[in-house]
Amino acid sequence: LKRFGVARCLAAVAAATLAVGACSSTTDSPGSGGSGSGGKHTIGVSFDLLNAIRQAEKSSIQKAADAAGYDVTFAVADQDAQKQASQIQDLIQTKKVDAVIVIAQDGQQIASSASLAKARNVPFLAIDRAVADQGNVTFQITGDPVADGKAVAEEFLAAAKTTPLKVLELVGGLTDQNAIGRRDGFNNALAGQPNITIAAQVPTDWNPTQALDGTSNALQKDPSINAIYVPSDFLLPSVQSALTAAGRLAPIGDPKHVFLVTIDGDQNGCKAMQAKTLDADIATPVDEFGKQSVAAITTALGGKPVTPKSVQAKGLTLNQANYATTSSQVWGCGS
Amino acid sequence: MLRREPLLPVLVVLLLGLAVSYHGFATVANVRNIAVQASPLIVAAVGMTYVIMTTGIDLSVGSMLFLAAAIETSRAVVGGPTAVVFAVVCAAGILMGLLNGVAVAFTRVPALIVTLATMQVFRGAGGHVTGQQNIDLPANLRGIGTASLLGVPVPVLIAAAVALGSGMVFSRTTFGRYVQAVGSSPDAARNAGLPVRGVLVGTYVLAGLLAAVASLTQTARLGAVQPSIGQGYELTVITAVVLGGTSLFGGRGSIGGTVLGALVLTTVQTGLVFSGASPYVFDIVRGSVLLVAVLAAGARWRSLARAMFVPNSRRELS
Repeated sequence: LKRFGVARCLAAVAAATLAVGACSSTTDSPGSGGSGSGGKHTIGVSFDLLNAIRQAEKSSIQKAADAAGYDVTFAVADQDAQKQASQIQDLIQTKKVDAVIVIAQDGQQIASSASLAKARNVPFLAIDRAVADQGNVTFQITGDPVADGKAVAEEFLAAAKTTPLKVLELVGGLTDQNAIGRRDGFNNALAGQPNITIAAQVPTDWNPTQALDGTSNALQKDPSINAIYVPSDFLLPSVQSALTAAGRLAPIGDPKHVFLVTIDGDQNGCKAMQAKTLDADIATPVDEFGKQSVAAITTALGGKPVTPKSVQAKGLTLNQANYATTSSQVWGCGS
Repeated sequence: MLRREPLLPVLVVLLLGLAVSYHGFATVANVRNIAVQASPLIVAAVGMTYVIMTTGIDLSVGSMLFLAAAIETSRAVVGGPTAVVFAVVCAAGILMGLLNGVAVAFTRVPALIVTLATMQVFRGAGGHVTGQQNIDLPANLRGIGTASLLGVPVPVLIAAAVALGSGMVFSRTTFGRYVQAVGSSPDAARNAGLPVRGVLVGTYVLAGLLAAVASLTQTARLGAVQPSIGQGYELTVITAVVLGGTSLFGGRGSIGGTVLGALVLTTVQTGLVFSGASPYVFDIVRGSVLLVAVLAAGARWRSLARAMFVPNSRRELS
């Protein structure tokens, strides 16, 4: 019994250590807190997760904040909506930040955090992911997934003028509004086009392994597929691996080349553009997220109303024709 | 054979049905395609079979897969000779399994809770190692997932070796018999003087090692490490094991059944693409397969309960 007691104590200590570690390790606070003491204004930032695009978004906020003379306190919720709510509460009540920028893990649940911010008179801004109830949101800027899907379709339409396209369409998470918007924008723009056939629609759940297996299966089903719509750059390595296995990864101009267009504009996309295995990439305007949200904070802290309250920023089309002049504006091509 | 592996005729009927229905399904290239896709799942599911046989569960398998991949591409490891990199990844898998095993065997915290916690720990550690970035795998580490030996893809050879070796261990070694005994009745095994804790630790270590091996082949196929690798993979692995006839209540199961379970899941997935089904149908079918597997497991449990109950009733009547 004594032994089990010791083991339980050890387990409890280990669990508590892990919990404390998990909470503390995800908050990065270079600034010294809010401006309650009369110093610089501080922006509290809470992200749903941290990946390549989030790193770029973090940099864009930091850059814009530095230019405006604000400090930034940064936290990541590890895809946990409850954790994000606690972090935002901590930012507002304990760290007393002057404004909050969030990328919501859950667009519905974040409403309570926005409500808390409103009650404390702290401007609350949402970027990248839309918030369902915008009543207490000071400013929101997101991408425009439908417009991005349409921009991809325009690249397909231009290519289909010379060669009929048989398309494999990969779809992201079926419960993700970004994925659905990118799919609908693409499909609506291509409806009724005679030179383009959707040979297969394969769900990926934003999972690289499902993208790899789905692409391999589709190429087995129909080897005449000569175009693939990849709804995010982070699935591109999976698609390239499947094409390599099928002996179909070839540069533009090679008869074996499969016409590829993707969205996001990350390092994967830029590398593939340089290698001429990718035909076009619709780049998310990450810099605009940072610039416009920090500008909105300045307006709100100055006591003025922010207008418009909601902005949808279309992606920037990067293709082989404009690569030399446009790649410098794409976030993934600069690093 | 059919009595021991009832999933075999299901797989045969499924393959025949798809071959007849869809042009291009019954080709050597597609059989190879299915076998390669099923290989990492087979390897990870074999490890899970041992764990579930002891009435345990390992929810951290997907995160172990990710952390192993992250370690493989870490600066300290990736530049080494190929054999050393693979050995380090396997050692990392063993250590992760050891952590799970010790925590399960030496505390009374249920395996579900322990591995739920380590699932987050391993994924967080993997994210820390990779900085949540996509990292390309160098060419020398890709062969394990993309090369062939005598015309047979290397992942398939690895999966076959793991399945055969684990099957032998399961049926012909003392450890295998201990696993079955511990799963059937931990108290009886303890009273009989079996090293129950050692067996439990051994099963989790094996699961960790095989998750690392699965990671080597899977990451090599993908050609890159990505932060979402292995997310939700535990559900697929557990489905393959349960579908293959391993009881969630422990003590009964087979490696052959698990291999068939993994092959059925992969064939269904491939068949869905060949059928041109709506993307929404994919989730419905995947969920239905899991439901069928769990219901079948429940039915077997009820049969066992009935078998135990009936003789007692008869004794009372006589």
